[in-house]
Amino acid sequence: MLKKLTRFYHPKTIEEACLNLGNGELKTAIIAGGTSEVLRQDNSIEALVDISNVKELSYISKDSVFYRIGAGTPVQDIYKTPALTGPSGNLLKAAAGKIGSTLLRNSITAGGNLAAMFPWSDLPVVYMALDAEVVCRKGKPKRTVPVQTIIDKKASQFLSAAEIIAEIAIPMYGKGTGTAFAKLAKTANDYSMITIATRLTTRSGKVDQARIAVNAITAGPVRCIEAEKLLEGQKPTAELIAAAAKKAADSITIRKDFRASREYRKEVFEVMVRRALTEAHEKAGK
Amino acid sequence: MKLNTRINGKEYCLEIKPNAMLIDVLRQAGFKGVKFGCGEGSCGACAVMINGRPRNSCITLAGAAEGVEILTVEGLGNPEKPHVLQQAFVDSGSTQCGYCNPGSLIAAKALLDSNPNPTAEDVKDALDGNLCRCTGYVKRIDAVLQAAEASKKTRKSTRGKK
Ligand SMILES: Cc1cc2nc3c(=O)[nH]c(=O)nc-3n(C[C@H](O)[C@H](O)[C@H](O)COP(=O)(O)OP(=O)(O)OC[C@H]3O[C@@H](n4cnc5c(N)ncnc54)[C@H](O)[C@@H]3O)c2cc1C
Ligand code: FES
Ligand code: FES
Repeated sequence: MLKKLTRFYHPKTIEEACLNLGNGELKTAIIAGGTSEVLRQDNSIEALVDISNVKELSYISKDSVFYRIGAGTPVQDIYKTPALTGPSGNLLKAAAGKIGSTLLRNSITAGGNLAAMFPWSDLPVVYMALDAEVVCRKGKPKRTVPVQTIIDKKASQFLSAAEIIAEIAIPMYGKGTGTAFAKLAKTANDYSMITIATRLTTRSGKVDQARIAVNAITAGPVRCIEAEKLLEGQKPTAELIAAAAKKAADSITIRKDFRASREYRKEVFEVMVRRALTEAHEKAGK
Repeated sequence: MKLNTRINGKEYCLEIKPNAMLIDVLRQAGFKGVKFGCGEGSCGACAVMINGRPRNSCITLAGAAEGVEILTVEGLGNPEKPHVLQQAFVDSGSTQCGYCNPGSLIAAKALLDSNPNPTAEDVKDALDGNLCRCTGYVKRIDAVLQAAEASKKTRKSTRGKK
């Protein structure tokens, strides 16, 4: 692991971090919480840029439209903060609290969880369900992209050299929106077999926007677009929600391992999506 | 590569391999209270406090600990002068083989630092990353609650003296 590593950089600002990343001499990568270093396949890395001292990357704040979460924020802070409320805040907190353990949550960061994007990563689906935007910085210049762009291309390919994920901006939804998070794992600490984040935004009793984002049962985070379409524009009756859950289960490519077969996962998944949508619908009405 | 860090309140400058893990560096520096269990972030035996946050030292690169403040179980107390948590672990029977204790104690200390009046649920939540294969999970909840009570009493009595 990291056989060629010779040095660490410890920048204090985003600009400094980007300069270190683009140093041009050493093959360099970012380390945030560092929890996936043991899994890093690339043995050619010569230097690591440790962003844990960059204070301007660690915060949870809000403006009139968005919750803003710094990429370096430990997910334990998302889980524990009283600052996140409402449909978006509750979904973020529910998922963050289900990540690994207290010890892991103190390391794992909001940005690292998105950038590494393993099948068992819990936050990417939440970001997708909430239509989050991702702010990337390359020194001073910044660009803001829909989270889907990063999911589709993978952070490592999307980001240019010397560019980092700086912030995840999460739209705040008000009355009429409900969200739900669900996860299936053998133990609280084991790798997830099914991860689901849903959002229903309703207007006059009909679904305006539906989001069903899933991971772990699939090879990476995906949205069940066909199932979402089935719900949008309609009254979310129990029958329609059941039909959407079935459509979701039929539309994904299911992963398997020694923990459980595809058949088992599919059956449980359909029930979990149905319950998550029902829960989101109930909350939307409150 | 050099690593400058504070361990249990003392400055250290350690010579380390760039890809060394924090657990190995700490143990080689004499802090044998940091235990190696799973080596993959699942059991919590290796937990140390890094800048006030309990984290798994087995999956943390030592290089990322430059300039930080580390607390290991040795920094809590010793047999002559145990920390109230250590005493409570002994009194409640939360220690058998003891292998999980250093990590659990660090996680418990972090909880009491941020929440001096925890409920049983708070304790379960804070120790959710620390596996124990001997005593189970009930006694140590009692232990942390007892320690919280005991600290409250000491705080009151010291305040009274002033
Ligand atoms: C035992 C165990 C259990 C776990 N359980 C869960 C779980 O239940 N749910 C879950 O979601 N996760 C879980 N994880 C965490 C997950 O596997 C990843 O390790 C974690 O999400 C990575 O986040 P990090 O902050 O540690 O990033 P790092 O490991 O530091 O980095 C991950 C990758 O992202 C890049 N990167 C990091 N930050 C940025 C940035 N700001 N900009 C650009 N690139 C960046 C790095 O270069 C690296 O390639 C678990 C991990 C362990 C060890
Ligand atoms: S040894 Fe570090 S978590 Fe098990
Ligand atoms: S006392 Fe033996 S593992 Fe906890």
